[in-house]
Amino acid sequence: MQKITDSLSPWWGTFNFELDQSKLWRLGPLTMILRCLSGEWQVSYERIEQYEDSDISVSDTDSIPEDLPELTRYVFRNPCRSLKITPLLADRPVISRPRIPFNLSAGEEITLYVSSPLWIELSAGNNAKKLGELSIQRPSDTWFGPSTLQGELCYATTTHCRINLVEIPERRYRAITPVIIRNNADTTLSLERLNLPSPQLSIYTSDDGRLWTSTVKLTREKDGDMAALRVIHKPPKEAPEAIILSQPRVASEAGVFIRAFNAVFS
Amino acid sequence: MMTELWTQIASFLTSDRLLSVIRAFMLFSLGFLIAKLVSATVVKIVQNKVDKHRNMLLRRGTFYLIILLFTISALKELGFDLSVLLGAAGIFSVAIGFASQTSASNLISGLFLVAERPFSVGDVIRVGSTTGEVLAIDLLSVKLRTYDNLYVRLPNESLIKSEVTTLTRFPIRRIDIQVGVAYKEDLKKVREILYAVADKNPLSLEEPKPAYIFQGFGESSLNIQFSVWAKRENFLNLKNSIHEEIKNAFDENGIEIPFPYRTLYSGSVTEPFPVKQVKPTPTNRNQAL
Repeated sequence: MQKITDSLSPWWGTFNFELDQSKLWRLGPLTMILRCLSGEWQVSYERIEQYEDSDISVSDTDSIPEDLPELTRYVFRNPCRSLKITPLLADRPVISRPRIPFNLSAGEEITLYVSSPLWIELSAGNNAKKLGELSIQRPSDTWFGPSTLQGELCYATTTHCRINLVEIPERRYRAITPVIIRNNADTTLSLERLNLPSPQLSIYTSDDGRLWTSTVKLTREKDGDMAALRVIHKPPKEAPEAIILSQPRVASEAGVFIRAFNAVFS
Repeated sequence: MMTELWTQIASFLTSDRLLSVIRAFMLFSLGFLIAKLVSATVVKIVQNKVDKHRNMLLRRGTFYLIILLFTISALKELGFDLSVLLGAAGIFSVAIGFASQTSASNLISGLFLVAERPFSVGDVIRVGSTTGEVLAIDLLSVKLRTYDNLYVRLPNESLIKSEVTTLTRFPIRRIDIQVGVAYKEDLKKVREILYAVADKNPLSLEEPKPAYIFQGFGESSLNIQFSVWAKRENFLNLKNSIHEEIKNAFDENGIEIPFPYRTLYSGSVTEPFPVKQVKPTPTNRNQAL
């Protein structure tokens, strides 16, 4: 099994295949095999529970997609030999729950780093026709809203909510989102849950191969869980030279208030 | 005598009475013709828009209505007093009113149902033991399609009077899982296992949190209710997958879901019943004989 990349080279980008060739992706919990056949692409994958964060590799393989459980075939009239892999963010907002809830006093501002789960988009051909997408980790569904009658379906993850960049572990299969929270209200904000509008963020890649997203700024103007949301569509200041890899799924509007903290359920 | 008869006939023929009889007869025949013409025309106009029954109803309806009108005016010509007829019609309509009580009630209930809007076309409702998707909310009844593809007609009156559950009103739904574990099990461990199963299943919502409710000390088991939430569309998928996962998790951890137990007891303090295994005696029919 010849390794094409080591853990510092990207697992995304355009990959050229020979006819009947298979390549294997190991991205933390996800194992994916792609095979180029005459007139079709075969994609199969498997998610495992025991994995290491450093298990990131792309290699040629003798295994075939039938070796893994979930198999899909994409058929084409004009076959092509190159496949493009793009990382994407979640298609729903992601609710991050800090491992240890913390408090932000009135008038304070803090920048947190939250890691976001990633999706993989596969596209083939010269005009990059989208074949499909799959998630590296299938996050749990959750409901975020004021009650069981209203709200929206989101994904749930837990986060360490790190304040120092150096503490963030190396996880190439997730992207880092800088979140600036400003508490302009008179009361302390007790943060138990953070609503990240993932579909509105872009993905950037920095020189060291890390994946970043657009910066999210949440300003809490008055008591309660609502905050003014602003998405900064530029590379984050922690990696100003980063280049954009993928566009947001939905356009973000300026001056929108969202329920950003703590869903209340009776 | 013949002369008298002729005189009578002659006087009758020249009287006003005859003219009115002729007028009445002409009115009647004219009415008949007009009724036939109008009903045919009406049918031609709406031919493609209504079905056969309505077609026939419309044709007969207009025909008899027009004939009735002309008959009434013909009778009036002949000198009949119509107030008697009106009295009879009044009594007739009261009788109709009593007979159509339920239909009127259904009609009014239908109007209230539309105004209140507890459900609309496309929702799934449960009335009594019937569950189905609402196909139409009509004047007198609501039509459902059950899950096994049968057509059910529910009178509006019964919907106003009884309890109607709309299953598709809210976006998320809770599944209550009743599970019993043997008395020997550690409840804390069972609780942890159940929460872990819900956590692992991606369809089970993280918020609202799954609820662990101890129901009681049952006859043969400790009865626990474990409730998980799911998006309404995923309800059936989650229901099936989580029961399976709970069973597997219990098997892996050696947690017993007991069969009903019965303890045999023959006094205040019973010694264990001795059970001795005896070799079966060979049955040799020839020997017995």
